[in-house]
Amino acid sequence: MDMNEIKEIFFQECEEQLAELESGLLKLNDGDRDPETVNAVFRAVHSIKGGAGAFGLDDLVSFAHVFETTLDCVRSNRLDPGPEVLKVMLKSADVLADLTNAARDGGSVDEARSRQLIKELEALANGEVPQASAAPEPVAKAAPVAVAPVVNDEGFQPVAFSFDDFEADEPALIDMPTYEIVFKPKSDLYAKGNEATLLLRDLSRLGEMSIHCDMDALPALDRLSPESAYFAWKISLKTDKGEDAIRTVFEFAEWDCDLEVTLVAGEAAAPGEELPMQPVPFDLSILDDEPAVSVGVIEEEEQLAAQQEIRDAAVSAAATASNVLQMAQSANRAPAEKSAGAAASAAAQSAAAQQAAASAATPTIRVDLDRVDRLINLVGELVINQAMLSQSVVENDANGTSSINMGLEELQQLTREIQDSVMAIRAQPVKPVFQRMSRIVREIADMTGKSVRLITEGENTEVDKTVIDKLAEPLTHMIRNAVDHGLETPEKRLAAGKSAEGTVRLTAKHRSGRIVIELADDGAGINREKVRQKAIDNDLIAADANLSDEEIDNLIFHAGFSTADKISDISGRGVGMDVVKRSIQALGGRINISSKPGHGSIFTMSLPLTLAVLDGMVVTVANQTLVVPLTAIVETLQPEAAAIHSFGSNQRLISIRNSFCPLVDVGRILNFRASQANPVEGVALLVESEGGGQRALMVDAIQGQRQVVIKSLEANYTHVPGIAAATILGDGRVALILDVDTIVAASRGHSLKPEMSLAAAG
Amino acid sequence: MASKKTAQKTLSLAPVLDLNEATALHEKLLGLKGSDLVIDASAVERVGTLCVQVLMAGAKTWDEDHLSFTFSKVSDAFEKTTQLIGVDIDHLMAKEI
Repeated sequence: MDMNEIKEIFFQECEEQLAELESGLLKLNDGDRDPETVNAVFRAVHSIKGGAGAFGLDDLVSFAHVFETTLDCVRSNRLDPGPEVLKVMLKSADVLADLTNAARDGGSVDEARSRQLIKELEALANGEVPQASAAPEPVAKAAPVAVAPVVNDEGFQPVAFSFDDFEADEPALIDMPTYEIVFKPKSDLYAKGNEATLLLRDLSRLGEMSIHCDMDALPALDRLSPESAYFAWKISLKTDKGEDAIRTVFEFAEWDCDLEVTLVAGEAAAPGEELPMQPVPFDLSILDDEPAVSVGVIEEEEQLAAQQEIRDAAVSAAATASNVLQMAQSANRAPAEKSAGAAASAAAQSAAAQQAAASAATPTIRVDLDRVDRLINLVGELVINQAMLSQSVVENDANGTSSINMGLEELQQLTREIQDSVMAIRAQPVKPVFQRMSRIVREIADMTGKSVRLITEGENTEVDKTVIDKLAEPLTHMIRNAVDHGLETPEKRLAAGKSAEGTVRLTAKHRSGRIVIELADDGAGINREKVRQKAIDNDLIAADANLSDEEIDNLIFHAGFSTADKISDISGRGVGMDVVKRSIQALGGRINISSKPGHGSIFTMSLPLTLAVLDGMVVTVANQTLVVPLTAIVETLQPEAAAIHSFGSNQRLISIRNSFCPLVDVGRILNFRASQANPVEGVALLVESEGGGQRALMVDAIQGQRQVVIKSLEANYTHVPGIAAATILGDGRVALILDVDTIVAASRGHSLKPEMSLAAAG
Repeated sequence: MASKKTAQKTLSLAPVLDLNEATALHEKLLGLKGSDLVIDASAVERVGTLCVQVLMAGAKTWDEDHLSFTFSKVSDAFEKTTQLIGVDIDHLMAKEI
């Protein structure tokens, strides 16, 4: 594995850590005070710093370090994570993400912003803990060289505090403050490859150390679990390096141990009166001979070679008995130890079991997206090919033998399964997009001076990666609109009896084979009167048009609507919503709005789970073959003459079970034919549009039901109104896939100007 | 240390007693239970906490069984590590030999 690959993995992990960081901070923002959440946040920053250090990404390291220092204050309860503090931290998370991206893609970052945040972070850290102020500087400088990634702490080196420093300071030893450290490793510490001896060695270098090993928990040999932690230590350390330096020693291990560091007053420090403390020998150089590691990966061969070297070089010296300090443990303590030991080993076992379960959870691999796409394309071709094969068998051998037919059926089923499985590979939770939105909300809220809370739900809803990628842009636009125009200013909110803080709720869920994303705000809602007036002024609707509230709300998606500059000031919505609608439609999706004056608006987007295949009903309209998405069809029926009612100039209704439903002649709307077809000769497809309400679509005949592979019309030809996409049928012909919603919208065309209704296809 | 007159066994420790060795060492020690034990730690170049834990648990068990558990020779690295982590092995050193 070369360096670039390792670096790439680092950046991928950074993304995960950043996501973790942000969600943790948001939890804290919501009032979560679980120490585990704070730890998770700290860990995320810490891991990024560690990895960045290994790759010499100095900017990233120094920012992460300052950030981490402040987070450490939160962790040790020296800084309360109030809203103001979290605001700075969330911004810092954004800058950290920018820095990571810049380090990966070589872009630049807003340096003034990051400098400003560094100042703010330092101020936060210093506000409560004056002695922490000196710490960031030296460590930040040293970190890029020495920080090893958490993955392998075998080669952990003390950051910034070398043995030489210590020797230089030696004369001043007498006046140094004494710290009492209680260090109690958990079994995880060892399971993760950490070694207490190395931590203690590094600790001993900070000053004069004496140590007591508490072996009370150690059980008898047959009850011992060899990989659990039993030893705990009480350490007295005389050092002038400060508490931060002590904590730095444990920084890669601290989640896996209990660590207490207390400063005991200078002279009065006679630590561990009742505990026999063993002075730690100064010259520990013999323990230093592991290879130093700057990157977290050591090749096994290298390690073995290094060990061999050590072996050759080592001089085994027989030890001589020295001044004797009796071990605190003696036989008379044994009975008490037995029960304690048993309890400890039981606890250790359950911890180990938990860890095993966690590590066995979901093994994953990272795969290049290109490879998946290639596979998906190939499967698409396979599906088409299989359809062609079926068709030519049927055509060439009308009464084909049953074995061929059975084989074909099996093939079809297999193809289907392969396709589903391949699609599942591309399915990803919408979480990353949702998380990006929280940043947008923060930034817009900052700019507009509004106070906004973003609530996300259903982040783990999975949808095809292409959909996710294309979702970000329209969603960003809508979120901006929601905060900028949807929510009122805090003063207005208070005046309206709402809380000063606005809420934007972003939800994702699966509904009948589609993903539905809802964006709701609790703002003022749409001012329908003004929207209507604007639409009339802009010649979008006739002055006397009778529109439902829903229809008025949906006017804001109209292309002609957003051109006016005043609209954003008065009614809110309307800026570029047509662009949003177009991008959602390009995804095969639909967007809808419902608004309650005074209570806010809800945008609902319904998107297909995948853009690659579709279950469709193949129909004939005016000698053309069309595909109607199956998800849109409620039922199909053969109209009877008695059920058809005409009204107006050319409007027709069909009576279905005592209710009337507008009849839409697809061939007429798409301009496939000039005059209306006779409904009795065709078939009616009852469809439900996203805006609610049913329509009966008139087609000439149904050919069958089929899964079709979607080929983009936009990419291969150009956008055709009323047509969502195209597909290749078994006989090799291209069939158009109907965009049911546009057809339904066009059928309401009377209230809209001709530009909205559909002109000729193509 | 009261030791019975049983066969004395010797265990030579491997040079590297890291995290991975703890289980093996544990099994070895369990297999040697019931006899006086002399441990040769002269080849040890690196020893981790887990292995020290196993050895100390052994010392305790042997003590409970009234058998002797001694280190005949220890390497400098072994001694320094035990001192570093505050584990006193002086009383386990085979002085009578």
